[in-house]
Amino acid sequence: MLGPTMWDVTSMTEPTFPERLLKWVVSMPPIAFLVVFFLLPSLMMVGASFRYPGEFGGLSPLFRPAETVGDTGLTLESYRFFFGDMVFLWIIAKSFLIATLTTLLCLVMAYPLAMVIARSPRRQQELMVLLVVLPFASNFLVRIYAWIIILGPFDLLYTPVAVVVGMVYVHLPFMVLPLYTNLEKHDPLLLDAARDLGASAWQGFWRVTFPLSLPGVFSGSALVFIPVLGMFAIPELLGGTGDVLIGNLIKEQFLESRDWPFGSTLSIMLMLVVVAFAALSSRLARPRVSAP
Amino acid sequence: MTLRLSRLVAILFATLGLPWSAAAQTLYLYNWNNYIADATLRRFEERCHCRVKQDYYSDNEEMLAKLEAGAVGYDILVPTGNTVETLIRENALKPLDASKLPHLKNIKPEFLDPWYDRNNRFSVPYAYSISLIGYNADKLRELDLPTDSWALIFEPRYLERLRNKVTVLNSQKELMAAAMRYLGYSIQDRDMDKWDQAKRLILRAKPYWAAFSNSTYIKDLAIGNIWVAHGYSNDMFRAREDARAAKRPFEIGFTTPREGAVLAVDNMVLHKGGRNTALAHQFMDFMLEGENSASLSNLIGAGNPNAEATRLINVEISGNVDIFPDAARFGRLEMIRDFDARERRVLSRMWTQIKVK
Amino acid sequence: MRPNRSGMWIFALAVYAFLYIPLAVVVLFSFNDSELNAQWVGFTTRWYSVLWRDPDMLAAALNSLTIAVIASLAATVLGTMTALAVQRHAMAFLLPLALGPVALPEVLLGVSLLLFFRQVLDLTLGWGSILIAHMVFSIGAVAVIVNTQLVNMDESIFEAARDLGATPWKTLRFITLPIIAPAISAGFLVAFTLSVDDFVITFFTAGVGIKTLPLQIYSMIKVAVTPEVNAVSTVLMAVTLTFIATAARIAPHAVHASANVARAKKKRGAP
Repeated sequence: MLGPTMWDVTSMTEPTFPERLLKWVVSMPPIAFLVVFFLLPSLMMVGASFRYPGEFGGLSPLFRPAETVGDTGLTLESYRFFFGDMVFLWIIAKSFLIATLTTLLCLVMAYPLAMVIARSPRRQQELMVLLVVLPFASNFLVRIYAWIIILGPFDLLYTPVAVVVGMVYVHLPFMVLPLYTNLEKHDPLLLDAARDLGASAWQGFWRVTFPLSLPGVFSGSALVFIPVLGMFAIPELLGGTGDVLIGNLIKEQFLESRDWPFGSTLSIMLMLVVVAFAALSSRLARPRVSAP
Repeated sequence: MTLRLSRLVAILFATLGLPWSAAAQTLYLYNWNNYIADATLRRFEERCHCRVKQDYYSDNEEMLAKLEAGAVGYDILVPTGNTVETLIRENALKPLDASKLPHLKNIKPEFLDPWYDRNNRFSVPYAYSISLIGYNADKLRELDLPTDSWALIFEPRYLERLRNKVTVLNSQKELMAAAMRYLGYSIQDRDMDKWDQAKRLILRAKPYWAAFSNSTYIKDLAIGNIWVAHGYSNDMFRAREDARAAKRPFEIGFTTPREGAVLAVDNMVLHKGGRNTALAHQFMDFMLEGENSASLSNLIGAGNPNAEATRLINVEISGNVDIFPDAARFGRLEMIRDFDARERRVLSRMWTQIKVK
Repeated sequence: MRPNRSGMWIFALAVYAFLYIPLAVVVLFSFNDSELNAQWVGFTTRWYSVLWRDPDMLAAALNSLTIAVIASLAATVLGTMTALAVQRHAMAFLLPLALGPVALPEVLLGVSLLLFFRQVLDLTLGWGSILIAHMVFSIGAVAVIVNTQLVNMDESIFEAARDLGATPWKTLRFITLPIIAPAISAGFLVAFTLSVDDFVITFFTAGVGIKTLPLQIYSMIKVAVTPEVNAVSTVLMAVTLTFIATAARIAPHAVHASANVARAKKKRGAP
């Protein structure tokens, strides 16, 4: 066709001007937005965890202006408070358990559904995805109240089962969508090849489809696991006296005890555990190479 | 060209920043859920040729948290006594101009000059409620259980017959207060040993309770899912009315425990961040008029500190000693006061332990 | 039909049932003749007329929809850019940054944004603050979804495009975007639902007097969630369904065409 072009030669070595321009055009807006409206506020809250609770709640000032009662300045008091009692770590562990259970249940329920959608004809796919997402157009509280009506007669209300059911229900679509977008891209030829080589349907799934879908599995899990950890409404409305999770505790710090430094500390400790977990899972999420 | 552009930008930023407000004056009210009758608001809007916009909170702390983080624009808040004290000490309120409140004289003397706001410099009493026990009267009679004591929710020998049919308030202050009164202590007592006693009392009873509930107990009682609930007098009134309206085969009753209980007086105050001081005073005086104050009580069964209003309230409500306590009961009621930051931390850790164990 | 295949279908239908039974309850109970709405009493349509005459509820619903559309469009754009930057331009740090808001407890995010708006930017709360807040937590969700689809893309397509003389911009517009179109629209849907349903963050960042539907409904909790709330939920679902079905009808061909072109290119280019 055309002879060698500018892009043939230089793309092998260094990025061209159009490439660099595109790079910055594409990445600067999100970076700017996230740094200003997420990073900065979050750093403020990290700073808050090192301050004293204000006399009336909130944060106490850093410097001692006139008429200040109570301590000012920076301190590790909130962290000492956190590590001083096992109960906080225990709640984080318990919340992780519930989050893991919820994620696994979502995965088991979402996977076949995502596969069915991915293998349907294109027209139908859109409709099926829409049907998965539509429940969200109604209101969160109203759906929870519906579950209260449903679970009540079965004596399941105010139990851990109710909490898990509520959590799974609310997060299921977040598992279905990433899985579907991943599965949709799988080349059917791969499975055909596997079957030609003698693999059973189950082997075909377990050794071809599932490994290829891992990125979808992990993004879906991230979109379920992490929000579940911060939730407080479902344990509050559906849970019994023993079903308190870390999200409830954090909410209580800000909205009841008015202990913002401790609320920030709890959130940071939670974040650290989540980050450790995410680092681990992103290592496992590297895409596998497709079989030739 | 640049002029037009900059004006466009200015308009853009203006619309991004300011709330839509009507051409007429608007009063911004930050109030409890369902704590004023719609009809009353309409009457005020007609009289003052203005609009009233309400935002809601369901807890004093919720309101404080939002104000703490810097929300401005509310003219009137309706905090409970201890929160009024906090707001005053934070210098967050505008002093009242008594000359603009001629109907202040309607308030009963025992509600004037309260401990949290001497001489009513900043606040005007609005309504009050008592934290007490609501119950399914028929069921409790059947089970032969006492209805006038906190023992009903704290003693295993009674709770045995009520397994999973009891809810308590999801509030550290309220539950600790109930426990302290049952043990015979003042709710203001700062003795750590007594707090520990209260904590153990609660933990002993917790396995029998169904849930911590701040609002769903109204429904649960009225349908019959729950037989005993720790809650507020006006909520119990509502549960009783709902059960009657649905023609349930049982009656909901509510009683102030004889060991004493918490009284919560809510007050109207002017927040510093409000813009309409004159209009706000007009509203306050309007709500101090007997007829307007009475409509709230008639609607939700709230206790009323307004003498004029009390005459206009349904006898069924004003004659109920658990909504309008007589002198004897009044003596056994205490108002919650805030503790200092250190004590709050200790209590919050205690509350966490209670929730988790 | 292999038994495995139809077994999956049955399971999928069961999951749909699980998703929709509570919704059936919601819709059914919007016709419940009981203010308390805890048990079925009788049939009535009066709650829909109550809703029609309730300016606060209607305004709140409209606000929620408006905010959701604007915020999720913006979040979809930014989220797609994020995924592209991560996958095609080697800016891997962007993904955890975008996911950060999803990882934080909502209360923390709400409080920190409120603090930031008021004490650092001195911005009066209003529409802008809600929009920004909603965008912050939606970007990560969109980015993650688009990212998963980009991750699996065959590098050889891009090489083929380059060999054929396509500029980076043309590659983006005619190759990459059509291929990830399903993920982009899935991301938009997720962002939309996150926005319409958000309570906690909106609670902290909404301006005085601005109500979204979750805020309005929350204010009714104590009173009891009357069937009017079920009615507004039913209406909202119907509106969303209509809106998306219409959009799918208007724009499907463009999406299909470019996707087919991309598929064909892929088949030709694959080893």
